[in-house]
Amino acid sequence: MPSAVRLSAVLAAGWLWLGALTTALAEITLPSGEKLETIDFERHVMGLFSKTGCNNGSCHGSFQGKNGFRLSLFGYEPEKDFAAITRESLGRRLDRVHPEASLLLQKGAGLVRHEGGARFGRDSWQYQVFREWIRQGAVWTQGSGEVVELKLSVPEYVRCDQGQTLQLTVRAKFSDGSEEAVTAFCDYRVADDAIATVSPSGVVSALRPGDTGLAVLYRGQVRAVRILVPTPTPPGFVYPKVPEVNFVDREVFAKLRLLNMVPSELSSDTEFLRRVTIDTIGTLPTPEEIRAFVQDSRPDKRERKIDELLRHPAHAALWATKFSDITGNNTNALEQPQALQVRRSQAWHDWFKARIAANVPYDQIVHDVLCATSRDGMSPEQWIQVTNQIDDELSKGYSDSYPKKKTLDLFWRRQQNVPIEQWGEKVAAAFLGVRLECAQCHKHPTDRWTQADYRAFANLFAQVAVGQSPEARKVINEENAERKKKLDPKKNANQQNIPIVRELYLTANPKTLPHPETNKPLPPRALGGPVLPLRGDKDVREELFQWMRQPDNPFFARSFVNRVWAHYFGIGLVDPVDDFSQANPPSNARLLDALAKSFIDSGFDIRQLEKTILLSRTYQLSATPNDSNRFDRNNYSHAYVRPMMAEVVVDVLNAALGVEENFDSDAPAGRRMIDVGSSRLNNANLAYALRIFGRPPRTTACDCERTADPALPQTLFRMTDPYLLAKFRLANNRINTLAKSKKPLEEALEELFLATLSRLPNDHERQAFRDHAKSETNRVTLLTDTMWALINTREFILNH
Amino acid sequence: MSDRLRTDCEGVHRRDFLKIGSAGLLGLTLPELLRYEAKAKAEGSKIRAQAKSVILVWLAGGPATIDMWDNKPNAPEGIRGEFRSIPTNVPGIEWAEHLPKMAQVADKIAVVRSLHHTIPSHQPATVFMTTGNKPTAALQYPSLGSLAAKLLPVEKGVPPYVSFTDLRGGTAGGAGYLGTGYNPFFVEGAGNPRAKAGTMSLRVRGISLPAEMSLDALDKRDKLLRSFDEGFRHLDRSTDLVEGLDTFHQQALDILRSDKTKNAFDLSKEPAKLREAYGLDAFGQGALAARRLIEAGVRFTTISTGSWDTHQNNFKSLKERLLPQLDQTLSALIRDLSDRGMLDSTIVMCAGEFGRTPKINKNAGRDHWARSMACVVAGGGLKRGYVHGSTDASGMAPNSDPVTPDDLAATIFHQLGIEPTTELQTLTGRPIQLFREGRVIEKLIG
Repeated sequence: MPSAVRLSAVLAAGWLWLGALTTALAEITLPSGEKLETIDFERHVMGLFSKTGCNNGSCHGSFQGKNGFRLSLFGYEPEKDFAAITRESLGRRLDRVHPEASLLLQKGAGLVRHEGGARFGRDSWQYQVFREWIRQGAVWTQGSGEVVELKLSVPEYVRCDQGQTLQLTVRAKFSDGSEEAVTAFCDYRVADDAIATVSPSGVVSALRPGDTGLAVLYRGQVRAVRILVPTPTPPGFVYPKVPEVNFVDREVFAKLRLLNMVPSELSSDTEFLRRVTIDTIGTLPTPEEIRAFVQDSRPDKRERKIDELLRHPAHAALWATKFSDITGNNTNALEQPQALQVRRSQAWHDWFKARIAANVPYDQIVHDVLCATSRDGMSPEQWIQVTNQIDDELSKGYSDSYPKKKTLDLFWRRQQNVPIEQWGEKVAAAFLGVRLECAQCHKHPTDRWTQADYRAFANLFAQVAVGQSPEARKVINEENAERKKKLDPKKNANQQNIPIVRELYLTANPKTLPHPETNKPLPPRALGGPVLPLRGDKDVREELFQWMRQPDNPFFARSFVNRVWAHYFGIGLVDPVDDFSQANPPSNARLLDALAKSFIDSGFDIRQLEKTILLSRTYQLSATPNDSNRFDRNNYSHAYVRPMMAEVVVDVLNAALGVEENFDSDAPAGRRMIDVGSSRLNNANLAYALRIFGRPPRTTACDCERTADPALPQTLFRMTDPYLLAKFRLANNRINTLAKSKKPLEEALEELFLATLSRLPNDHERQAFRDHAKSETNRVTLLTDTMWALINTREFILNH
Repeated sequence: MSDRLRTDCEGVHRRDFLKIGSAGLLGLTLPELLRYEAKAKAEGSKIRAQAKSVILVWLAGGPATIDMWDNKPNAPEGIRGEFRSIPTNVPGIEWAEHLPKMAQVADKIAVVRSLHHTIPSHQPATVFMTTGNKPTAALQYPSLGSLAAKLLPVEKGVPPYVSFTDLRGGTAGGAGYLGTGYNPFFVEGAGNPRAKAGTMSLRVRGISLPAEMSLDALDKRDKLLRSFDEGFRHLDRSTDLVEGLDTFHQQALDILRSDKTKNAFDLSKEPAKLREAYGLDAFGQGALAARRLIEAGVRFTTISTGSWDTHQNNFKSLKERLLPQLDQTLSALIRDLSDRGMLDSTIVMCAGEFGRTPKINKNAGRDHWARSMACVVAGGGLKRGYVHGSTDASGMAPNSDPVTPDDLAATIFHQLGIEPTTELQTLTGRPIQLFREGRVIEKLIG
C-alpha cells in the first residue's frame, strides 16, 4: 500500500501522530505464511475484532456493550469502533508511547482481568498485529477495508481425501482497487464437522467420506464452497453402471460418483409401497393393497401407484397441512369469536386442499395468497352477500364456500394487527425460503441483507389494511349493525359466535418504515431486486409477485422445489429448507437448478414435479446402505430413515389399529388428522400426542417450528399412553376383528405385520410369536400383545 | 436430519445431536456436550446454587393483589376495597384479613409489591410471567420450568418438569425454542381444583404404566417387541435416529420400572393431619404432591388454581372461595417445607399473570391491570419476613424498587446457580440470553 495514498485520508484520534508513519515497519508473519507490514485498521484490526470474537453479540458487540466498552456488532461501523477504542475511557485503551500498556492488549491477552478471558496469547500474531497498529500510530483510513470481492484459492467444489489437509487462501479485493491476502483474518465455518474441520488459519482436514459446506466470512462478505471427501476405494475398484430414470438420477448419481459412493439397490415392492404411501397420503397401505401391489406383474405398476396416490384426496390434505404450516395457519391468531377460529382454520386448510386436488399451478396459488383481498374485485354489495354466506356456514359448522373464494384473505386477516416487518419476514420465509429476521436489528451476518433491505421489503406490505375500505364502509357498517341486533345483550358478545365483518383491502395512506440510517423515506424493494414504488391505488404486491415468478428469480421456484424434495427425502438440498443464504449453499446446486428449471418450464406444475421425484431411481432406492455409502447423509445414496409428521403418526397408529379418530368440535366428521386445519384442539389427548410428536403451533414465520426429532416421551407414549391403549380395546378394531375370526394364528400374525410394518414376518419373527403363544393362550391377549410389540418397533414409527 | 447447518446471528453452528433435545428430559443420559455448553457459559460467574428446585403456585386469571398482599387502606373508597388489613408475625408487615394463616408464616416469605409489566391480556401476560421474557411473534420463549429442565442437573428416572395444569390451554408453560423434549410432564387426575380429594388418583402422564398393565406383562411384551425390532438394526446402523430410539427404549423401561414418581403421588403415606392442613381439595392435595415430587427430585413443578379473573363480585369471590383456599394451602406448603428443612433449597413463587385495577368497577369487580401487582416468593436463599418495593398511594404503579417479570426470573435462576446471561440456542441456532432484560434483584437475596 503506497503510504502517499494513505496519508491523504488519514484520520487519527485526538491528535495526529504523523511521526508514527515514518517508524520502521515491522514484518509480521501470519499463520497462513503471508507477511504483513502495514497494519490497517479496517482490514486487520477490525478483522481481528470479528475473528477473536470481541464484537460478538454476547460480548462487546451487544447493544449495551460489555463493561463499558462497545464495538459495533460484527464490525459494520468502523467509525464507532475507532472512536470507542481511541477516545473513550480517557484514551486508556491505547497507549501509543508504550503500546504494550494499552488496555486493548492487556485485556485481550488476559494480562489484566478480562471477563472474556484471554483472546490471544502474548506471543501470538494477533497480539503483534494489535501492537504494531498502535505502534504505527493507531490510524484509521476511512473506507480502506471495504471489500468488493473475496477470491478463494479453490473452486466451488473442493476434493480433499480422507485424512488429508488442504490450505485455503483468501484474497480480498477492496474498493480502492487494491488486493491483499486476508486468509488469517477470515472466519471459517464448516456445516458438518463430522466430515471435515477447518482451522482458524484456513487449513481443511478431511475426516470422513461425504461432503459439507464451508463458509468463508470476512468483513461482511461471504463465500461458500463444498468440501468433498470421497470414500476410499479398494484397488481395482470400478464404479458400477447404475441405471438412470430421469435427470434427478443423472445429477444425484454424478455427485455420488465424485464421492466414490455407489447408490444402494432398488427398494423392494413392499419397502417402496410403504414409503411412498406414508410420504404422499400420510398413512399406511392396507394389507389388501400390499397383497395386490406385490401380485401385480405389470412393469409400470410403480408409476401407476404414484399416479393413484398423487390423485388421492389425502394427498391434497397432506399438502394443505404443509401449506398451513408454511403460511402460518395459527388458529389462536385468527379473528374472534373463539368457536369460529377453529372453523376458519379449517377453511384455510380446505382452501389449499382444493387447489392441490385440482393441481392449480404453484405460482397461481402463491399469487392468490400473496395478493389476496377480501373482495376479489367484487362490489361491496356482492361481496357482503358472499361473506354472509360464508359466515352463515361458519356459524353453523364448516364452510364449503370459503375454499371457492378466489384468494386466501384469511392469511392477512388476523385478530391483532400484524406489523409490516412481520409480513416481510413471513413472506420471505414462506415463498422465498429466506430468513430475514437477523436483519431487523443489524446486517445479516451470514447473508447479504442489510437493515435497509429488511425495511424496504417490509414496506411492500404497507398498503395492507384490515377493517373497512372507504368504498365498503357503509355496507360493512350496515351489516355489522344488523348482526349486533341478533346479540343477546345479557351475554358476552364474544361467546355468541357472531363474527364482525372486516375487510382486507389496500389503504390509500400506507405507512412505510424509514431508512434505518438516514431516517428518510424508503421505497419498497424486492429482496435483491428492483425498487417497486407505491403508486396510487396500484397493489404493489402484484409487482412483487411478478418479480418472484420470473424464471431468473433465484429464490421462488428453488425454495419450493427444495421443500418438496425435503419432504420426500427428509433433508433438503438446501437445509434447513427456509435458510437460503450465502453461507448455506445447496448440497447439489446442479440438481436444485435442474428441478427449478423443470418446474418453471412445466408452468409450476406441482404434481408433475412430485411425479418426477417419485419416479426417480433415487427416491426408490433401498434404505439399506452399502459399504461405500454408509456415512452419506445428504447425497441421497440410499433412502434415509426419518421420523413422520406428528399428524401422520396419529393417522398411522389409527390405521394400524383399524380405528377412526373422533374429532368432535375440532374438525368436520370423517376427517383424518392430516386433514384437520385447526392448530388448537379441544381433544386434550390428541393435543398431547401432537405436541410430543412436534406439531408446530404455527406462531412464528419459520418452518423450523416442526421438530420431528425423536424424544423420550414419544417412546413412552406408544408404550403407555392410556388414550392410545384404550383404542386397543375397541370392539371392532383390528385386534378384536381378527380375534373373533376363525383365521389360523399364523395368518393373523401376517395380517398384523402387514397392517403395521407393511411386510410379512420372517422366520425368526414367526418363531418369537409361536413362543409367546405358548404362554399366552387367550387369543385376544395374544394379538393385543403382538400389536403392542409391533407399534413399539422402530421400524413402525419411522419412515424408511 | 441431524447434521443440519445451524447458522445464526453469531454464526454459531454445531451438529445438532439427536440426543440433545431429549436426553435432558429425564436426565438419564444428558450428554456431556450439553452440560459443557451450559457450564462453559456459566463459568466466569462465581454464583453458587442456593436453591435446587421451584414450586410455582399459579393464580390463573390474574389475582387482585391489592386485596391480598398490598392493601391501600388510606385510598379513596372506590379503590381501597372491602377488606381490612391485619398484622402478620413480622412487625410492620400487614396484609388482608382473609389471609390469616399466611400472616403466621410471614416470617418465612418475601412479598414483592413493585412487580409490574405492560401486558393486560391473559395469554401474553401468562407467557411473560412464566418465561421471564416479553413475548414476541418471532420467537417462542421457553417457560421457566423448561429452562430448569434443560439447565439443572436431574435425578435419574424422575421427570425434571412436572405441571399440574395446562397454562392457557397449552399456549404457555411449554418448551418454546428448546424443542418438544423440554415440555412439562403433565399430572393427570388433578381435575377440578376444588374437587374432593377422595376421588383423586394422581399420576404423571406418560411415565407410568396404566393400571391394567403389570410390570410382568410389560416385560413379556417387551421380549416380543425385541425380536420384532431386531431386523431393523441392520438397516441403518450409522444414523443417530435408529440408535437414539433404542436408547430411548431402554430409558423408557427404566422409568416404567422405577417407582420414585409413583410413590410421590401416594399421599396416603402422609399423616392425615398434614393432608388436612393442606386442604382436602385437589389444589391442596396437589400442593402436597408437588412437595413430594420435589423430594423425589423434580426440579420445577407448577400447581394452579383458577377463577382469579374477578371482573365481577371480586370481594365476594375472594372472601368466600379464593382467599381461604389459597391461604390454607400456600401457608401449609410453606410451613411444611420449612419444617422439613426444604425451604432453603426450594423456591416457592405464587403469582398470576397480572394484578387488577385499583379502581373498582360497577360490578364490584376489578379489571386487568399489569402496571402494578404483588407476588409471593419464598425460600431458596431469598429474604424472609421481607417486603420488596412499594406502590404509590392508590396502588396504580410501583413507587420504589420496581421489578419486572424478567427480573424475577433472573433472580430465581440466579438462586438456582444459573447466570441470567447464559446463552441458549434456538432451533435455528440463534443465540438467546436466558433473560435479556432481567436484572438480579440483589435486595431480595437473603
